[in-house]
Amino acid sequence: MRFEEELVALLPRLRRFARGLARHPSDADDLCQAAIERALKSRDQWQEGTRLDSWMYRITRNIWIDERRAAGRRGVHSAIDDAATQVVGDGAAEVEAGALRGDVDGAMARLPDDQREVVMLVLVEGYAYREAADILDVPIGTVTSRLARGRETLMHYLGEAA
Amino acid sequence: MSVDRDIVAAFVDGELDDLTARRIEREAVRDPALAAEIARHRALKAQLTAHYAPVVEEAVPERLRALLVGADNADGVDTSLADRRAAKRARFEPMHWGALAASLVLGLTIGLRPWLPAADVASDKGVLVASGSLADALDTRLASNQPADAAVRIGLSFRDGEGRYCRSFESATVDGIGCREGGRWQLERTQRGRAPTDYRQAGSGELAAMVATMMAGDPLDADAERVARDAGWRAR
Repeated sequence: MRFEEELVALLPRLRRFARGLARHPSDADDLCQAAIERALKSRDQWQEGTRLDSWMYRITRNIWIDERRAAGRRGVHSAIDDAATQVVGDGAAEVEAGALRGDVDGAMARLPDDQREVVMLVLVEGYAYREAADILDVPIGTVTSRLARGRETLMHYLGEAA
Repeated sequence: MSVDRDIVAAFVDGELDDLTARRIEREAVRDPALAAEIARHRALKAQLTAHYAPVVEEAVPERLRALLVGADNADGVDTSLADRRAAKRARFEPMHWGALAASLVLGLTIGLRPWLPAADVASDKGVLVASGSLADALDTRLASNQPADAAVRIGLSFRDGEGRYCRSFESATVDGIGCREGGRWQLERTQRGRAPTDYRQAGSGELAAMVATMMAGDPLDADAERVARDAGWRAR
């Protein structure tokens, strides 16, 4: 299959991944667009016979992380992400968790970036730990520990999932 | 609990070798705490999967497809006019036939309706379906929680006699009822939407009457609507 055709076939899944990272549909599609443009520009770097999906996910994720870091440097800061780091059960957090029951977007937004991307790759996109580690270019132990923390936070906010 | 939490996670994620996985399954029978933990992990995974599943079913926005369909020129090499014409044709064709089919369907079933916006209604294999912002609104918006100035307003969500989820909607150009089937919203009924100057009591009443004839049981309440949305409007 041609490179472009394979990419087109991949788009629905890629949009899902981007939606999990960027949350807002239009931001997610902007992210996909940037990823496609970069992929077309650097298509020579993709080795035929290797998985195009992993390569695309890596590009998408790298653009997203770069943007988040740049936004952080500019002082555009999400208060939500700060709140995420302290999930322990004081009264306010319990109330907040109650309000979020069933709100997957809200709960995901409260995960730090590095946990959110692992949750998306493994729990939603269905990648094996090894594959997720390759996409993110981190050791497999980092994947499992981020995943464990991400899960704990999500279970806290979403409660006993329906 | 007899098993470490990370092992439970790895079990649910399918990361354990067969031998260990079978050992966990056996122990879960004896150990209710372990069984509960496995169920908790599975439930989270199911909830996340259901929440994001509808994205895969959405129509990919044209601006993304257009980057790849007919993108042979992307490397900047000047190609022949014939190539470019072919690329242009490739881009134009699906849209063209879609529009043609849509107008045929419209013409045959409900008469000529030039006010129907091409962007929000499409034809898929001869069936009129929601697309664009209308499909987005039907996919994601909750009747219980929508901005007052929304371009598309969701009326009622309900199940019809066939068990499908259906939702009535109103917009400036078209009102109607969409029912979820095959991963898209088939437009079962459409009528002219509210023009700003329109006196629209009659229109609203007609739509409500259509809903009443289609609905099996009660309309979904806010909770049921949210659950249905999060599960991707799949009929059970």
